[in-house]
Amino acid sequence: MIENKPEVLAPAGTMEKLKVAIDYGADAVYIGGDAYGLRSRAGNFSFEEMAEGATYAHAHHAKVYVAANIVAHEGNLEGAGAYFREVRDNGIDAVIVSDPSLIEIAITQAPGLAVHLSTQASATNWETLNFWKDEGLERIVLAREVGLAEIKEIRKHTDIQIEAFVHGAMCIGYSGRCVLSNHMGLRDANRGGCAQNCRWRYDLFEMPTLGEKQTTLGKNQDGEIEDFSMSAVDMSMIEHIPELIDAGVNSLKIEGRMKTVHYVSTVANVYHKAVADYCADPVNYQMDPELVDELWKVAQREMSTGFYFGTPTEDDELFGPRRQQPHYKFIGQVLSYDRDQQIVTVQQRNNFGIGDKIEFYGPNFTHYRQTVTDLTDEWHHDIQRAPHAMQTVHFHCPYPVHPGDFIRAKEVKANVKVTN
Amino acid sequence: MIELIASPASLQQATALMQAGIDTIYAGEDYFGLRLPHSFERSELTELIQLVHSQNKKIVVAVNAIFHNDRIVNVQNYLEFLAAEKVDRVTIGDPGAIRILQKNQIALDYWYDSADLVTNARQVNFWHQHGAAGAVIANEVPYQELQQLVPNLKAPIQLLVYGAAAIHQSGRPLLTNYFNFVQAHQDKLDREKGLFISEPRKPESHYAIYEDINGTHVFANNDVDLMPRILKVAQLPINHWFLDGLYADETGFVTIAKAFDTARTSFEQGQLTAAQCLQLDELVQQNQPANRAVDTGFFDIDPDDVK
Repeated sequence: MIENKPEVLAPAGTMEKLKVAIDYGADAVYIGGDAYGLRSRAGNFSFEEMAEGATYAHAHHAKVYVAANIVAHEGNLEGAGAYFREVRDNGIDAVIVSDPSLIEIAITQAPGLAVHLSTQASATNWETLNFWKDEGLERIVLAREVGLAEIKEIRKHTDIQIEAFVHGAMCIGYSGRCVLSNHMGLRDANRGGCAQNCRWRYDLFEMPTLGEKQTTLGKNQDGEIEDFSMSAVDMSMIEHIPELIDAGVNSLKIEGRMKTVHYVSTVANVYHKAVADYCADPVNYQMDPELVDELWKVAQREMSTGFYFGTPTEDDELFGPRRQQPHYKFIGQVLSYDRDQQIVTVQQRNNFGIGDKIEFYGPNFTHYRQTVTDLTDEWHHDIQRAPHAMQTVHFHCPYPVHPGDFIRAKEVKANVKVTN
Repeated sequence: MIELIASPASLQQATALMQAGIDTIYAGEDYFGLRLPHSFERSELTELIQLVHSQNKKIVVAVNAIFHNDRIVNVQNYLEFLAAEKVDRVTIGDPGAIRILQKNQIALDYWYDSADLVTNARQVNFWHQHGAAGAVIANEVPYQELQQLVPNLKAPIQLLVYGAAAIHQSGRPLLTNYFNFVQAHQDKLDREKGLFISEPRKPESHYAIYEDINGTHVFANNDVDLMPRILKVAQLPINHWFLDGLYADETGFVTIAKAFDTARTSFEQGQLTAAQCLQLDELVQQNQPANRAVDTGFFDIDPDDVK
């Protein structure tokens, strides 16, 4: 049994996601505030919401971190000290920062607030980790370019907490060292404006003189011209939880403050189970293959292990026509369950109806699958489909599901190539 | 006194640059430094250092790579070598290298340089408190912000006034991966291969791209050329002007350096005019490589237009 179980750290774009992530096994969540965060389009938290989130988290023995990881320009720093003090005083456990000016302000002007170095700062060696430890930081989020063997070596030279990404979308470049978005669209990638230009499809060419383009694009296996792109597949380390824990990683980070409740609940649940199972019995641990299947249900792209086992190749980028993947939609949440009648009452989130194959899933990795055979609306009138958002409906369910459990349905559709 | 700094592609070009008025030569080895016109390994670097010092000029060595464990272990030895060679200063972008410099009390000045990440005065002052004698400001800081920033500085900043501006560094071999996918293996995907990418909706755009041991690098659509705004730069004041020879023409770069030296001298004599800047800019543009254009980058951009 492993005593110092690492934390599963999940993204929470909204209060609902914060609570769901914790219910589904996250030991900590990270959120954005109204300022200094990189996800300007995520649902960011007011101070009152931070307090509510922190109270909920602490009641469930979980933590809340606030991302404040912009690279500030002149004039952006005004009020940062007061902001960090408010964050601290509303019960937040740490801030995630990359800009040294913001780090200094957090440490000197909000004493008692723990500071984590963001992956945006590209920490890749132990000397760098120890530099920031000497500055008073509590934790370093490693660059995604750091391999597993490198983490083991880093751990030998420092005792600062190490956080590493284990799941989700990846920057193709060193985070922070990319201003493609600034130059192509006047959107500052390091201040929350990233337009994901890396995922665009480019011409690639030689040009002896201005305007004289000589394309060097090649063809894919279908004989079609393949555009140049810089688009990474997503990361998944679910099959390597023991290696990460044994290497000394203290926090396993899931990417995606913009992602859905369906995604957050599923991924937190999966990683929580893998970590709990391994730590309970490391000698006999074998990963449950169902965990991988589960992650595919919320996958947006193909997945790889990033830099953990070496420099990524063409297999780790999104070239060519993409594989058709089963796609799951989030269709509702259980409001109540009548054990005597075996009737479940559900709040609809996406259209579903009679004949659909659905799956209930809940915290602690419970799963029940069935086909919908009957459906009534809130007045108990028979209906074929539940087309209205947030509509309350009832149907037979033979399994003892619980309020708060989620329901998804499988639909098969081809993924579309990523374009701009 | 304005310092003109330039990165040469050879010993010969370094000589010509110094004759053209460059005060400080910026060079290094690509194992330790990023995006250099030539990788000067130790013996060649020693020769360059001696050459520069024989001309009573200064030399700055790039130690600004992002270091993984395998390279950070070699940084101490390299810094000690540079100190023994009496290098005038180094650039560093990885705080781990700063820690090595300081804990080993290596007698070298350093300037902080982390490409696009130095964007406000308080950052510069942070690194100054940690021993930096100055810092390299990001190319994405517009003039209006520089006006606000400069009075708040406790250490000087260096600005790119001419040359290719890096806008992306990936740890992945993005070109190799692409050519492997289309089964069109290429032996060389370095800077000399001369590849560009263009945006899907702007086919006329041309962002230079290459691979080296530090990964894949992408550069801005046009090279920076602040000659038309050099009076404003000097008046800010920013007194450390960097000319990057990465994509420059061998002889054209020397002429461009001479043009900036003329501008600098005129300014220091109180004679630089907007009209002279435009005249000198014609020289800059005439000496651009045939496949590269120039613009003023982010200098004229209204900060409020950046989202």
